[in-house]
Amino acid sequence: MATTQQVLLSPAELAYLHASLSLTPPIRPDGRAPNLFRPLVAETGILPGTNGSARICFADGTEAIVGVKAEVEKTRGADATEGGEDAEEDNNREGRSEWVELTVEIPGLRDDDSGTAFLSAMLQEALLADGGFARKLWINRRYHWKLYLDILLISPPLSYPLPLLSLTTHLALLATRLPRLKSEGDEDPFFDDDWAAAPYLYPRDKKSSKALARPPVTLLVMAVGRNIIFDPAKEELAVADVALAVSVGEAAETDDDKGKGKGRKLRLLSIRTIDPPSRLTPPGVPNASNAAYGAAGATQKQPEARMAEAEVVEGVWRAPRGGAKPLVMAALVQKALERGGVADEVLDALDGVDLG
Amino acid sequence: MASVTIPGQLLGPTSKYQPGPGTHIHQTNLYSSLLGVVHVSQPVKAPGPAKRLNKITPAPAPAELPTISVSRSGVSEKREVLPEVGNVVLCRVVRISPRQAVVAILICGDTVLDAEWQGVIRVQDVRATEKDRVKIYESFRPGDIVRAEVISLGDQANYYLSTAKNELGVIMATSEAGNTMYPVSWKEYRDPETGVSEARKVAKPF
Amino acid sequence: MADRRRINGPPGATIPPIYEDASDKSVVTRQPPRSRPANAIRQTYLKTGVTPSASGSAYLEVEMAGKPGVSGLKLSCTVHGPRSLPRSSLFSPHIILSTHVKFAPFATKQRRGYLRDPTERDLGSHLEAALRGAIIADRWPKSGVDIIVSIIEGDQDRETSRQQGDEAWDMMNTLSGCITVASAALADAGIDCVDTVAGGVAALVRDDADNGKPKIVIDPVPSEHDKIEAACCVAYLPTRDEITNLWFKGDMPDDDMATYMELVQQGIQASKHANRVLVQCIGETVG
Repeated sequence: MATTQQVLLSPAELAYLHASLSLTPPIRPDGRAPNLFRPLVAETGILPGTNGSARICFADGTEAIVGVKAEVEKTRGADATEGGEDAEEDNNREGRSEWVELTVEIPGLRDDDSGTAFLSAMLQEALLADGGFARKLWINRRYHWKLYLDILLISPPLSYPLPLLSLTTHLALLATRLPRLKSEGDEDPFFDDDWAAAPYLYPRDKKSSKALARPPVTLLVMAVGRNIIFDPAKEELAVADVALAVSVGEAAETDDDKGKGKGRKLRLLSIRTIDPPSRLTPPGVPNASNAAYGAAGATQKQPEARMAEAEVVEGVWRAPRGGAKPLVMAALVQKALERGGVADEVLDALDGVDLG
Repeated sequence: MASVTIPGQLLGPTSKYQPGPGTHIHQTNLYSSLLGVVHVSQPVKAPGPAKRLNKITPAPAPAELPTISVSRSGVSEKREVLPEVGNVVLCRVVRISPRQAVVAILICGDTVLDAEWQGVIRVQDVRATEKDRVKIYESFRPGDIVRAEVISLGDQANYYLSTAKNELGVIMATSEAGNTMYPVSWKEYRDPETGVSEARKVAKPF
Repeated sequence: MADRRRINGPPGATIPPIYEDASDKSVVTRQPPRSRPANAIRQTYLKTGVTPSASGSAYLEVEMAGKPGVSGLKLSCTVHGPRSLPRSSLFSPHIILSTHVKFAPFATKQRRGYLRDPTERDLGSHLEAALRGAIIADRWPKSGVDIIVSIIEGDQDRETSRQQGDEAWDMMNTLSGCITVASAALADAGIDCVDTVAGGVAALVRDDADNGKPKIVIDPVPSEHDKIEAACCVAYLPTRDEITNLWFKGDMPDDDMATYMELVQQGIQASKHANRVLVQCIGETVG
């Protein structure tokens, strides 16, 4: 699994990192503010053979490409209900989660690795959480679009690739267009071959060409001590007390939301706990039990008389045990959902990408 | 005092007990970490100052607290034990090379191990003196049963063992003719039927 | 990954039967709504030490709903180890946990293959995260433990998949069962844990009977409710008051944190109920 990769940091380095990240304000190894993302380069529409594509390159060198392909597929079990009452209207459209197929490819990992399965399940779950996305793929009662999202990490996974993959998928979906339908009703579908007329999967404003709705984004948030840190690098994740992947989407503004402060109204779509690699880091040895400092020599011990539990010594690294308090988790989620907070900034930044 | 605990059960504050096996500390309290029976053992009185102090050591922790531990005995016979640094183990020699003897660890302390753990006795760990003259084939042969001490958890595959003490070494050996031999000196075993001697690192009989 | 060991038919050539709606809607027996209170879990049976050859094992069964065609949950878990790591692996100062969750081919409505599919791997990752927080890994250096959960009967309704088009809600119930059964098996195997971890599920449901007003229930059975809006599965350590794994999905009505907090709180409640069963079960094995 990508998170369980060996972290090549000594116990002393881990203890130092943990201490500096627990300060108020935390001092991150790369000097970022706790809620600052790493700089990134993004472009869309790089692959003309796809319905939509995007590429993002993080400053640390990790890079991902996403290609979206759509195919027309016959809806399973549709014939059974065919010829029923035609009066059923559009609000009866129902999408199915099996219409979306999402695969993640990470170099150096087997494609049946459970970490990869975890990542793709997480991205798919966020996408399908509200059921609205699958509904967009409805053509008529007998046919639907089948959408293949292929997510490729091109660089080796230098940090936990989740934020990168999520942002790239977001952009690729924004750039996705499906051919314009020319047929009507439940007949076999045929499409307009003018690509310029193809509508976007996520409809846009005519004038500003800004997307009206947007796919979700998944943020990686971690906590060290009392600090909440966004977009952690690999070294920071190695000392995390708890790490969460929080998927948020944009919610429609209602009238009574006006004047609740600036920023978007966000809604929570999914949360998953990421197993922090800190649990697999080697522990430090306190002086009191270090033979080099004159601790009682390890003379013939009885088996079972081992595992002398040491109390936590300040400045000596020990891998965290147990989980996280429910309130800490709630604080992480709250921070991610904050109006005008990090998720908002990320969505703003993605708005700035030219969708070609 | 024998009562059953389950993992996570509070046993008492660290100011009253020392942690033993099967327990863990969380925020100045001791908790059980196993399903088992609680034992409290009083500390053995240290037999006075044994030696003159000849090096500066940090003040020893006041080890006067009773040790509390949770053991699996009575719950289940199955309990895996891992070889630890300092343990005396019994092992069988699997293969030898000029640099080391590879052994399979069979018994750790008094416990027969379920899983197979592999160990290595390197040529420099065979005996305490004249280390440069040690030859592995004059110390061990495949099939010998060896008493050894664990000196390191070693690398990913092997525990590092040592026989550099009088009471450590080969305790059972078979001759080339296939007979069980008896020890005659610190470096020799003899076949009772053919009378042929073979070289071994012999453990001192108790 | 293709299954090379068996001769399988072409994939996707068959589909499970789909039942036509009864033409007369009034005749359709509406599923019995939830009969137990919103804050009660279904009855659970748990027993440890069922597989003698394993280091530790446990079996969990959750009662079926009253309706025919709805199966309960039947899980069996075995723990093998601690044992030495394969020679190819690196030195590890900790125990290496590997979790395998496998549906029996007949466990769900749609037959499953023998190779683990992505859902099963995903469940395995969740289970690993939940257990890794509970075990004291540094007690067992250089060793590995395999935790294998077999789902003999999945918690599924023949009708549900068609109605909701999604198995995901069943997965949460399955995961919470997996966490509880694996925790019992770990205690049986004598692997050091900081606490007994147990799983619990809570869901925000919308029932037509309540005029579509959302409410929170624990241990939801999808067929008993008209619509599940959101659900969360929690792995919780009761004495430490800590969560080792949190899995939430769904569509929260607004950016209201209170609903989310309440949902997690109810998930913790469900986990405490399951934990009571767990404590009683492993306590009985001694003495």
